[in-house]
Amino acid sequence: MSLKVLNPNAEVLNKSHALHMNINAAKGLQDVLKSNLGPKGTIKMLVGGAGDIKLTKDGNTLLKEMQIQSPTAIMIARTAVAQDETSGDGTTSTVIFIGELMKQSERYIDEGMHPRVLVDGFEIAKRATLQFLEKFKTPVVMGAEPDKEILKMVARTALRTKLYEALADQLTDIVVNAVLCIRKPEEHIDLFMVEIMHMRHKFDVDTRLVEGLVLDHGSRHPDMKRRAENCYILTCNVSLEYEKSEVNAGFFYSNAEQREAMVAAERRSVDERVQKIIDLKNKVCPDDNSNFVVINQKGIDPPSLDILARAGIIALRRAKRRNMERLVLACGGEAVNSVDDLTPDCLGWAGVVYEHVLGEEKYTFVENVKNPNSCTILIKGPNDHTIAQIKDAVRDGLRAVKNTIEDEAVVLGAGAFEVAARQYLVNEVKKTVKGRAQLGVEAFADALLVVPKILAENSGLDTQDVIIDLTGEHEKGNVVGLNLQTGEPIDPQMEGIFDNYIVKRQLINSGPVIASQLLLVDEVIRAGRNMRKPT
Amino acid sequence: MVGFSMQPYGIQSMLKEGHRHLSGLDEAVIKNIDACKQLAIITRTSLGPNGMNKMVINHLDKLFVTNDAATIVNELEVQHPAAKLLVLAGKAQQEEIGDGANLTVSFAGELLQNAEELIRMGLHPSEIIVGYTKAINKIIEVLEEMVEKGSENMNARDKDEVITRMRSSVASKQFGQEEKLCSLIAEACIQVCPKNPANFNVDNVRVAKLLGGGLNNSLVVRGLVLKSDAVGTIKRMENAKVAVFVGGVDTTATETKGTVLIHSANQLENYAKTEEARVEELIKAVADSGAKVVVSGAAVGEMALHFCERYKLMVLKISSKFELRRFCRTTGAVALLKLSQPNPDDLGYVDSVSVEEIGGARVTIVKNEQGGNSVSTVVLRGSTDSILDDLERAIDDGVNSYKAMCRDSRTVPGAAATEIELAKRLKEFSLKETGLDQYAIAKFAESFEMIPKTLAENAGLNAIEIISSLYAEHASGNTKVGIDLEEGACKDVSTMNIWDLYITKFFALKYAADAACTVLRVDQIIMAKPAGGPRPPAQGAMDED
Repeated sequence: MSLKVLNPNAEVLNKSHALHMNINAAKGLQDVLKSNLGPKGTIKMLVGGAGDIKLTKDGNTLLKEMQIQSPTAIMIARTAVAQDETSGDGTTSTVIFIGELMKQSERYIDEGMHPRVLVDGFEIAKRATLQFLEKFKTPVVMGAEPDKEILKMVARTALRTKLYEALADQLTDIVVNAVLCIRKPEEHIDLFMVEIMHMRHKFDVDTRLVEGLVLDHGSRHPDMKRRAENCYILTCNVSLEYEKSEVNAGFFYSNAEQREAMVAAERRSVDERVQKIIDLKNKVCPDDNSNFVVINQKGIDPPSLDILARAGIIALRRAKRRNMERLVLACGGEAVNSVDDLTPDCLGWAGVVYEHVLGEEKYTFVENVKNPNSCTILIKGPNDHTIAQIKDAVRDGLRAVKNTIEDEAVVLGAGAFEVAARQYLVNEVKKTVKGRAQLGVEAFADALLVVPKILAENSGLDTQDVIIDLTGEHEKGNVVGLNLQTGEPIDPQMEGIFDNYIVKRQLINSGPVIASQLLLVDEVIRAGRNMRKPT
Repeated sequence: MVGFSMQPYGIQSMLKEGHRHLSGLDEAVIKNIDACKQLAIITRTSLGPNGMNKMVINHLDKLFVTNDAATIVNELEVQHPAAKLLVLAGKAQQEEIGDGANLTVSFAGELLQNAEELIRMGLHPSEIIVGYTKAINKIIEVLEEMVEKGSENMNARDKDEVITRMRSSVASKQFGQEEKLCSLIAEACIQVCPKNPANFNVDNVRVAKLLGGGLNNSLVVRGLVLKSDAVGTIKRMENAKVAVFVGGVDTTATETKGTVLIHSANQLENYAKTEEARVEELIKAVADSGAKVVVSGAAVGEMALHFCERYKLMVLKISSKFELRRFCRTTGAVALLKLSQPNPDDLGYVDSVSVEEIGGARVTIVKNEQGGNSVSTVVLRGSTDSILDDLERAIDDGVNSYKAMCRDSRTVPGAAATEIELAKRLKEFSLKETGLDQYAIAKFAESFEMIPKTLAENAGLNAIEIISSLYAEHASGNTKVGIDLEEGACKDVSTMNIWDLYITKFFALKYAADAACTVLRVDQIIMAKPAGGPRPPAQGAMDED
């Protein structure tokens, strides 16, 4: 073999071997992820190297945590991760769709068809399907007041595939309200403005939306109030601690008085800054009805804390940078970088600020704010793996709502789109294609059916029956999806099952591309140093 | 050369070397259940007042002799992922309520064991989950109905009422000594109970373990017991004011390094004098403010100590920050950062501070009877360290129950009466269900029998006989009949006065059902290769805590 001449250590696979390796890898990955798809999918338990447990149904998490080695599988996994990055959902579907495309192609290739022809068919089918998607999607008008119901339906559809039903329904309201809370008209939605905080406490159903902010640290002084109402909030990034000078400095003194004076001088500048804050407090809080909270991104040293505590100010130090931004959005006011020109305008306001202690951990809640543009989803759960699971789901739920608002369109779910698209491809597109590329279109159309098929399989239904029922209804012109409880066709619009438009579009865009690439590989070469054990 | 053309088909080929992959009913679900069963077998024998103790030696070679399930599962360092889920449920219970971890773990184990039978019968795990979820919702309903009437109002300061609610929890740890322990715990808790009992802080009840003597020598001190000696020679002070300095009692120092600049011998002498004068001035200021006791959070300088002695100040050193805060709470003092003259408001007050020798160790007892409802300490005496540790755990459980009962004082009948009633009601409920989940609900009901069975077995009684007579009593309407372990007969719990807290049961059963369902939901396990190298022991301990 020519390569062996060039490099005797290289490994090579060619022609049908290479193709079959790719097909097998794609099918293998499909097998792994298959059981996770849909609301009836099962959970996988991942055990890390250190014995840590992760429970997940989310395709993306699974692919990330599983350390995959096969080069083909890695390529597919990367596509799925890209899917997650653009749309936040549909990773499992992507992997399954690619696997199915490969499986369908295998049949034709075994019959002697050239992969190139199939790929051409895929390309035609892909374009046609995308056009069909444009026609098929249900437009949603967003305007100033988005229709909450439709957002809830989309969020629910996404969340139910990640968590069990009761919890998913509860989170639906939370994520929809969270996104609406941070949404500003005419602006891009920045999901980072939703803080996701978790507490290991109580049950998963105690997860809630806090209109305001939850910080994962507390005040560091025992005499500060644990709970305060009507609070003015000063968000600042000012160092309130003694900082050593940059140059190497030392003191020389010859008696104790001099030293005392130096000790006082060292602190003077810090004390002055603290005093300015206290002056502001006295200005805005003349009586005992209102309180003053300082949230500082930099440090506050014990003597400063002590002075602040005596002045009745609650002070939090070393807040996270991202929280400073959110705090301003939630409470109003502005973040200040210097205490020199403090005015009452810089202050934010919150109805109540309180501290919650959970074992060693302290949490500070800033709640009852006016017109919040930032909020916190507080996840609770009895243990870490529950929390991690909810966290992943919340992330996907938020993305689903955001996508809907930005796409201004949704797609009917429960497999309705896939069946309709196949119908369109077989009945309309195939006839317009000349030659053997027709078969490529057909393979593509059949591959689309994998989603309803696996949904049915995971629910313990008979796959063939379901598909025949569904296609039968579509022939009659009814757009129907699959009812996972009964196996009967249903109208997804009535049931409120909607998928994101962008998820489907990305799926149809990326799936065939990677499948085509893999099909067109005719040689796999591993050259260079062999990392494996020499034999 | 093994070419990669030989790669096998399937997931195994795609993962890195050393990965393990388990999937399907037999491989994953049944194995998981098996592991959980093994764990439950360990904890089960420790359930109830007659439960056996376990001797656990952890990775730091520390010996534990206990029947506290939370400690046992913690120190076992369970590796199996599914069993770990149960441990986590037990831990959650321990953190939430502080008691009932054994019930959680053992009951979850029993639920899974029964689930295995259902799976072997041919039920799909998802059907079992549906059934179990229905069952636990029903249980919560029934449990609510079981609540003893009149128990929702509790006077958190009435010792008898508190002891009634606490006894079963303490008795399950230290059977036979519960009377003495309960009264100690109740006394300590009531002393520190704030105006609104819901704000009760567990941290305010301290335990000081002193070797020697016996449980009967234990007592409750209103105030703190510090396990250290006074620094100076003054060992006793009464009705004194206290000044607390966090930064230590010594000469002040600058943040930047200072150097004393001396030009002549004369200056050297003068320097020492100014220094001395300065310290004396400060100590005198403290003494003038009326303080008799000085507490330092850091080092006490030699020179400062000398002047303290001269001005007849008693000096204590508390190096732990949290201990110092507690001291401030006890005495009502405000901690000052630097040595300076304290304001009269900043001073605290103690009835007495005295250094005493108990069992060979010198301890400082800080008493504050007046209005001091802030901190109380249980001084425990016992002959060995492990007995003391175990007593301490019993006290922790008792204190936690006090906290739980302050939140929700409702009680349900103890001594397995509740469990049998729940089992009976759930069985009736299962008969009304039509789907396949009725089998799962019936099995859930059956799982409750584990508790009376274990209680009876651990006490050496005939379990089958007891359970059947319990069922008979409950069927005839005596819903409060439980097991009298001492006599080995069935009796009405209101005559025995054994009550469990509703909230403990509620959380324990819910966590157990949640954990069992989570284990059942998993159908595939993918395990990474365990991280190589010997594990640093410190890290292991951190994880478990």
